[in-house]
This record gives sequence, C-alpha cells and structure tokens, in this order.
Amino acid sequence: MNVIKKFSVGAWITLAAAVMALVSVIVYTVNIGSAGYFQNAAVSNLTVFCVLAVAALAAAVALGQIKPSGSAASLVELVQGALQIAAPVLLTLCLANLVAARAEGLGFIYFSNADVIKEVQTPANLASATGTIANMVCLAAAMVIGMVGAFCGLRKKEK
Amino acid sequence: MRAKSFAPVMRGIAAIMACVLVLTMVGAGVADTFRTRIDDALRTQSYVTNTDPDSARFKSDYATIDDMMAAAKALAIKEGEEGTVIMKNDNGALPLADGGSVALFGLAAYAPYPYTAGDLKAGNEDAVDLLQALTDAGIKVNETVRDFYLEKVLNKHTEEVPNRWTGELETQVAYDNIYVAAPGDMAEYQIVEVPPEKFGEMGAPDDWKSSIDKANTTGICVFARGAGEGNTYAPGSALDFEGNATGKDPLALSDDELAVIDAAKETCSKVVVLINSGNTMVLKDIAKGGAHEVDGIAYIGVINDYQCTGIVKVLTGQVNATGALPDTYVADNASIPAVMNFGGGYYADYEIVGRKDDPRYPGVEIGNETAGSFGGSDTYNGGHFIVEAEGIYVGYKYFETRYYDSVMNPGSKASSGKGATQDSAWNYGKEVLYTFGHGLSYLDYTQTLKSVDVDKTPDGNVTAVVELKNNSSQDGYFLAQLYVQQPYTDYDKQNNVEKSAVMFLNSAKAQVKAGGSVDVTITVPSKYLASYDYTNAKTYILDAGDYLFTAAPGAHAAVNNFLAHQGKTAADGMDAEADGAVVTWNVGTLDTDTFSVENGTKVTNVAETADLNYWTGTNTVTYLSRHDWEGTYPINYNTDVEIKLADSPKKDEWIAELRGETYTIQNNSPATEGGDKGVRFDTTNIQYEQLENVADSFWDTLVSSITIDEAVGAVIHGGSRSDVLTNVENPIVIQNEGVSGFTATHEETGYRFNVHSQTLLASSFNPELAYEWGRVEGNSGLWLQRYHLWGTGLTQRRTPYNGRNYEYISEDPMLSNRMGCGILQGCADMGILNGPKHMGFNDQEHNRGGVSAYMNEQKFRETDLRCFQGGLEDADGMAVMIAFNRIGATNASHHVGMLQKILRDEWAYTGLISTDMMNNKYYFNAESMVMAGITQVADFGGDDNHITLGEGGVDATWAYISPKTVANDSALVEQARQNLKYQLYTFANSAIMNVSTERVDTWWDVALRNAKYISGALCAVTAAAWVILTVIPDKKKEV
Repeated sequence: MNVIKKFSVGAWITLAAAVMALVSVIVYTVNIGSAGYFQNAAVSNLTVFCVLAVAALAAAVALGQIKPSGSAASLVELVQGALQIAAPVLLTLCLANLVAARAEGLGFIYFSNADVIKEVQTPANLASATGTIANMVCLAAAMVIGMVGAFCGLRKKEK
Repeated sequence: MRAKSFAPVMRGIAAIMACVLVLTMVGAGVADTFRTRIDDALRTQSYVTNTDPDSARFKSDYATIDDMMAAAKALAIKEGEEGTVIMKNDNGALPLADGGSVALFGLAAYAPYPYTAGDLKAGNEDAVDLLQALTDAGIKVNETVRDFYLEKVLNKHTEEVPNRWTGELETQVAYDNIYVAAPGDMAEYQIVEVPPEKFGEMGAPDDWKSSIDKANTTGICVFARGAGEGNTYAPGSALDFEGNATGKDPLALSDDELAVIDAAKETCSKVVVLINSGNTMVLKDIAKGGAHEVDGIAYIGVINDYQCTGIVKVLTGQVNATGALPDTYVADNASIPAVMNFGGGYYADYEIVGRKDDPRYPGVEIGNETAGSFGGSDTYNGGHFIVEAEGIYVGYKYFETRYYDSVMNPGSKASSGKGATQDSAWNYGKEVLYTFGHGLSYLDYTQTLKSVDVDKTPDGNVTAVVELKNNSSQDGYFLAQLYVQQPYTDYDKQNNVEKSAVMFLNSAKAQVKAGGSVDVTITVPSKYLASYDYTNAKTYILDAGDYLFTAAPGAHAAVNNFLAHQGKTAADGMDAEADGAVVTWNVGTLDTDTFSVENGTKVTNVAETADLNYWTGTNTVTYLSRHDWEGTYPINYNTDVEIKLADSPKKDEWIAELRGETYTIQNNSPATEGGDKGVRFDTTNIQYEQLENVADSFWDTLVSSITIDEAVGAVIHGGSRSDVLTNVENPIVIQNEGVSGFTATHEETGYRFNVHSQTLLASSFNPELAYEWGRVEGNSGLWLQRYHLWGTGLTQRRTPYNGRNYEYISEDPMLSNRMGCGILQGCADMGILNGPKHMGFNDQEHNRGGVSAYMNEQKFRETDLRCFQGGLEDADGMAVMIAFNRIGATNASHHVGMLQKILRDEWAYTGLISTDMMNNKYYFNAESMVMAGITQVADFGGDDNHITLGEGGVDATWAYISPKTVANDSALVEQARQNLKYQLYTFANSAIMNVSTERVDTWWDVALRNAKYISGALCAVTAAAWVILTVIPDKKKEV
C-alpha cells in the first residue's frame, strides 16, 4: 500500500487512461461479437495496439515508482517518458483505424436513402452502430487522458 | 525555476504532437477515401473537368487527317514487310534479282484475295496491288502473260449486286474468271484456276511461251482461297476449273493450279509460289520432293490496300524476311487429329429435345433440327455435336509432341500407324511440311537464349534474354522466338494432364548491325507455364521437374534443342542435329497453390458439363494422350459410336440444357423498381474514383435507377448501338464492324481506315506491331468519332477448314494471346472499345448457330480461352463478342462458368460482353443470357429497347417476358442492372466521355498537409527538448 500512497495525480490520470483503454477493448469485442452491421467486422490491429497501450501506461506508472541513482535514474526516466508518449499515440492509431473502418458503415446506417433506410435501421444495426460510437468515445477519452498524463510526473515528490 | 522542471511539459507537448501527426497521416488517407463525400459536405472541389480539346483524356497521335492516313498506310505496308513468310527458298529464287523480270501466273496474281472492298478490304483509291507493287519496285513484269490474264482471263468490270444485309444494289468489282471468294457451308468448292491447256482457246497469243526470257525470268504463281462468315470448307469437296468433282481437298493445290505451275516451270528459270489465303493450304506437291516442286514458296496471307508494297519489299530483298508461319502446314489435312471430329452430326435421338408444350412458347411445335446461321425455323438447333477429343493437341502441339515422343518415348507408340497418312507408320518428316514458327531469313543469323528469370508468383513474369547475332554483312531485322517444354510427369499420366513437348511463349524482333549482336528481352506472364488439372487438383498446377526454355526459329527446331539437351542425336531418330542450347528452371515439388487463385478468385472447374462423359456417365470419349498415341488417337464420335440422349443418367438435365433452360425465371422475389436517384452519367458524378473503381458505390446507385423494363430490355436487345436509359442519361454508343479496322468512311476525305491484314499481322510474330496496329486503329476511331468496334478475331484456328480463320491469328493460343494483348491494349490506350470475336470455340462456321462442342476442361481453358486471355486479362480490353455455338450442351452466351466465373471473376474483366447476332429465340434464351452476364444481346432490335414492344405489352421476341413476369425475379433484374453497370463503366473509361479530370488540392488538403508538417516538426523539437532536459545533470547536486 505504501507504493500506492506514493502515486502522484499524474499516476492516477495515467491509470485512468489505461482503464479507459481497457474498457474500449471490451466495448470493441462486444460490438463485433454482437448481432448487427459490424458483427465480425474486426479492425486490423486494434486489439493489439490497445493492449500495448495499456501495457505501456501500466509500465510507465510502475517505472515512475522506482528511484534508482546515478545515470540509471535518467535512463529509467527516459523509458518511462517514452512509454507515456507512445501510449496515446497507439490509442490515436486505434481511433483513426476504427473511424476509417467504420465511417462507411455508419454512413450507410444513418444516412441511407429514404427508400431503404427502414430496411437498414434495424434494432440490431442501430445497436451495432451505437456500440461502435461508444467504442470511439472510449478510445478518444483514453487518448486524451493519456495525453494529459504525459504532462505529469508519476510519483509524489519527496518532501 | 530550474530548466529541468520543463521536461514533463515538453514530454506532454511531444505526446500531443505525435498524436496529431498520427491523426493527420492516417486521416489524410481516410479523407482521400471519402473525398467525394467530404467535398459534398464542405462544398469543396477535388477534381476539375477539363473540356479543352487539347486536354482531352484521349488525344490522337496525329495532328492532321493526312498524318493519320499516312500512319495507317505505313502500318499496312509494315504488315506486308513483317508478315511475309519465306517457306521455301532454293536455287537463289528469292530475293528477286535487282532489275530482274518476272512472269505472273494465276488469277490471284492480278486480283489478290480479297479483290472487293468491304469488311476485309478498304478499297482506297491509292491501294496498291501486287502487279503495281512489283512495277513500283522496278521489277519487269512480262507483258504478254500480264495482258493475257488481265484482258482475256480476268476481264475486270463492275456489277450491281445486292447488299447482303440491306438488299440495296451496290457496285462491285467482278471478273470473267476469278477464284471463288466464298467457299459456302461445307459445299463443293470450285477451284477456278484456268489451266494452261485452255490458254489458247481463251485468246492467249501463240507465242506467249517464247515471249518469256526463260533464263532471266522468275515465274511467280499466286493462288488464293476464299473465306468468309458462314463459310466452312468441306474435306474432299474440290471441283476443278470445269466444275468436275476431283475428290481432292479444296485446300490442296488443284491439278489445274499444278498445271499452271508446270507451265511456269517450263517457261521460267525459277518458280516461286505465293500463298494468298487465310486458310492453311496443302502444299505437298510443290514442297521439297513433290512432283511439282518449285524453287520458292512464300505466304502472303489475306492482303489489303497496301500490304503488297511490303510483300514486294520482302520478295526483292529490300527488307529481310522475318515472318513466320502461325500454323502448321501438313502433307494431308486428314493427319490432323482435330479433323477426326469436324463438321459434326446428329445425336441418334436428337428429336426428343423438340417439344410442343414448352411453356415459354405455347402452341409452338419446336424441333431440334439444325438451322442456318441466322435461324429461320422453330428449332432449338441442338441436334448437332462434335467432340474435340484432340484436347490441347492442336496444330504443332500434336505433331511436335508426337515427334518428340517418337524419339524420347517410343513406348508411347508415337510411331504407330494411327493418324499416319503418308506411310504405314507415322513419320513426322512425311506428315509435316512446314511447322509453326517456320520462316526463312535471307540474312544468316542465330538466336541464343542467354538467360531466363521466372517470377513464380500469380502476377509474375518469365523474362528471357535472347541474343540475336547477325552473321551476315548487311544490317538487318530479325525474329527471336521463345519456347518452353514443361515436364510431363507420372502425376500427369495418372490425372490426365496433357503437356505439349513444346509450347510457344512469345517473340520479339530487333534490328541488328552487320556482324553485330543485340540482346532482346522477351517477357510473358508466368501463369502460362501452368497446366490445368481438371481431374485431381481441379486447378492450375506447376509440375515438379525441369522446365526447359530455348530460342529457336520454329517449333521443330525448339523440340530438337530439347532433345539434344536431353542427350539425343540423329542416331536416336532425330531428323536434325541441334545444339541443345537450353536454359533450365526447376520446380522442386508439385505446386498446386501458386496459380490456384487469380485476382482473388479460387480457380477451379467451371465447365465439367462441357465433357460428353459428364452426360453419358461413362468414358465414352477417350481424349488424345501422349502416354499412348495409338490407343487414344481420336475416333469420330459422330460416326464411330452412337450417342443417345435417352441413355444418359442425366437425360432430363441434358435435354433441358439443349432447350436453353440454363436459367428459369423465378416468381418469388420482388425486384426493386428503378427511379431517379439523383445521379447521372456525367462528369459531375463520374470523377477519378468512379473511373478507377467499378465497385464504387456510385455505379450501383446509378444502375439502381434503371427501370425493370429498361434494365432487362437494354440487355436482351440491341446490337447496333447502346440504349439511352431514362434515369441515367448515358450517351449513345454506335457499334462498328471491322476485323480490318473501322469500315466507316471519313467524311471529308472519303478515306477508309480498314487497311489492316489480320493474317499478315499474325505471321509477323511481332506483338509490338500488334500494339502499333491497335493504336492506329484506335486513332482512326477518334478521327471517325466512332468508339466501339468488333475489330479483331482471336478464336483459335482449330483446323484449316474454318471460313473465319482469316479473321483469327493462329493455331497457337499463346501467339493469339500475345497479339491480342497488343491489339487490344493499343486500342484501349486511345479509349476505343475493340471487341475480339468469337470467344468460346467458334471452331467451325458450319452449324455455328447451335452445334455443341464437347471437350474436357483442360482444353476449355488452355486453347480458345487462352487466346482471349491476353487481351482481356493482361491488357485493358474493353469488349468481347461470344461465339454462336454451344460449349457442351450450353449456349456459349449462357455459359456462367466461362462468362461469370472466368471472365469476370478470375480475369477481373470489367468490359462489355456481347452475343454474336442473335438468330434464334429458341436457342438464345433471354433470361439465361442475362444471368450469364451478357451486357447486350446483338439482334436487330430498335434503338431504345423495352420488354413491352410486343403485342399485349410483352417482349417482342420472347413473349413470355414482360415487366410483369420478371418483376418477381429480383436476381434476374439485379443481374441485368449489374450487366449494364459494366457497360456504363466501360463507356465512362473510353473516349466516349473524352474529357480529362485533374486532381486539385482543396483547403482541407492543404490544412491536413500543413498540420502534418507542423505537428511533425513540433513533435521532433519537443521530444528532443524533453530528452535533453531529462538527461542534463541536476545542478543542485553538483553544488
């Protein structure tokens, strides 16, 4: 518990980003596993990038709690910082890929011609579209929180 | 404040900038994908249409019509130069001596085939015939013989004859005596060559013989054979000059022609015979050892307006002879295994196909007898069939493989008497006079294969480098030919995969300085090395083993190279020694994967029903196989066995197919009616993305607007031009005939551009020349403002007897494939739709409107279809015309396997698919053609077609079709719309919409690009600052 007490606000923000990223993976998995337009519509590398981002965020927080001396201190700080930069970048890639993959489908569901829109907007398709949008929101939130976390140190300053 | 405390800030900014960079990079790609929609939303414009004629997408290569005409003429002369084949040249007969004299014998010497203008010949005023070309070249032509032929024998005049199609009287050239230009439908063929014994009574001067300076004169005898649509030669049908039956092959030189040759030999010191025909002739009597042997023989094909100038340049040696034979010349056509099954005959019980109760035609008694090419009676016309039991062994592939096996695999019984016509045992040297690829060069040269690189990937190429070495003291032009031998393995024998011992791949020509050498690179897609295994793997395979490549002047020299490489010599039975110069490429294990997927489509059997054995349920047909030449040599399946439909375990299915019931209209799935979707066929809607991608959603939206009536009506009727579709507002595209080029006359000049000779282009063996012709043909379309023609023929010449052989290229699929690729690409580059005829085994004109051609799937894929594959898959061919006949029991225009599975899916072809002129509504079934993917049926329909133009608001041809009867078959209606989608897409990509579109940057393109650069720079700077601030020593500790 002593370790947690040393978490700075930045560490909590970073962990929040990780949690949000995990949530987005879950939402994504449920979305493509459920009936509807995007069923089985996997997005290339999305899960892999998301999991990597979560791992990077968790590793950054962990590294932030150790305090080596000498030149090792700078090295640890660089690795920790690099992970704080990499994580939101990975999440951004996930978001961009998801938007690219889903834009046409969302357009089809919400903006089809009047004569076919009733056939398109089935409950399942609308639920699928909503799930995808939720997925995008989660990813965007994780990305933004991750960016904010990159401004922060991850360990309370010693007094 | 310490500088180090800024490190987290820098890190945070670096993270944001990195994210922005990623967003802009990925976002730019996404935005590009949805460019049109973003433009719509933001009211921006990514493409501008340039209607300036100078900026047209397709512009003529020629600034003036005079330049255009000069280019067409130059190309035609070049065809003569490159296509003339010196087959035999002894005693220095050729080239003709500079300033020498000739005496011209034979009707065709003064009126080469074809002598009248029309589809085949342009007939321009500045046309040059053989006599004129010889005179222009400074050759003295014996005037006595000339005047006798011109004035007493031919007596050229004009006649009024009715036009074949319109019936209007037209003025045509005619002669008192002329060879028969149309041999008829397996009718008797009179060879109208005036024998010398008649010269006197026809008014020849008594001294005509003595008028010839024998010592200094070469006799040139020219003999022609006619051809044409609906014509098929019948073996043994020849009549002589008097009209008496001779029992001889009409393609063999007649006794009257041989008498003319004898007269020439008597009066001239040397005699050269010119073969003026698109059908391979039988020249045994005048070849080496023949009873009427001559000094020289040359092939000049079917000529047009200007080719004679080029031909004479070869005859006089102004240019080196580089033409090669596109077909094998044999001593007797009966030795050709395909001839064993030619012409066809009835099933024993063909009548059972006929019926009185076809629900589509109530009250009509429909028979099953054969009908003419253009119908005329109520019949399914499915009574006749042939079995193409020779498989892949067409032309040289049979003769050369059998020769190879006679040396290498005597156990195959290659030397047995089966198929022998010249001796009791089969002997290549006696059966074959001149092989495929044969052609003598005046200048001594060698061709040596230096290297071969095979890229064994689905889209890879074989790249061969051939050294052409000019051993003469003159600069010259030379031909290099590339051949391959695929391994013939135990796997092949077990699974009925046949391999020719030699296969032509491609060829090229080059100029070489005297004594010098030039390396020529020849490429061909690697996929053509694969063979189709229809019994086991059911896909294309590459056998394990050595693939032998060689460069050689003809198929026979290539085979001898392979034999020599494999350690054989004349002592083993080879008929000539060879250097065995071969490059080997090895495949370690049987490869059933590499070529099993094409353009994302799994390649597998699609024509099992083409095999007669499928229907009979037994091994009724034995296909010719090199593992046992004697036991598998084809029998005649029309006379030697009895085929009864009623005996088939699939009798009902078979009969239904012969009745054209490939598809039946459904009544359980309502189709969506079309309507205005707010899109049109115009430059506003059709931008770069739509031109590039037939899968762009625009096209589906566009064709969804077509009404049910128009969608089905526009597909199942038409032929002379495309329909205007109400909600599409597409342009009208007029179709044009012209295997020799556009037959339309240029209004200002009166010039006709159909100056091409398909036969001489074929014998040029030069794919680059084929491209040049295609480009000239395309250019002429731009000048004529005609954009669509049926402008070449690519069907394989299965036998010498087909009356359409003059429109086709060769007996060899790969020569046809490479030449077709060149012609169609040349036209496509000018935006002109050039549709080759007649895909799907138009192997005879006799009963073409219904004859069933049965075959196995290896033949199906590796012979006729391969002829078309180069132009329609490898090049950007935009149209194709389908054959009249059946493939198996299925009308070729109903054949989903050929048209949808192979053409559309495997070949990813996006162009037009037209029927030939639909002639019989009981044979051509409208719904089956729609479902097979036909984009427009060719018939004599009106301009804009509907399925309401018949009595009572039904279709005028197929009365069971109306908007009401098809409205509940959504699959049919949607397929009709899909077919029209391909038509419209093709029109959009042609010169019909001859405007260019240019991409311009919108403000959001600029913003995205700038954001990318700025974020990238800031990311780099802040990341560097973060690293520096992180690693600098902590000053507090230094104190």
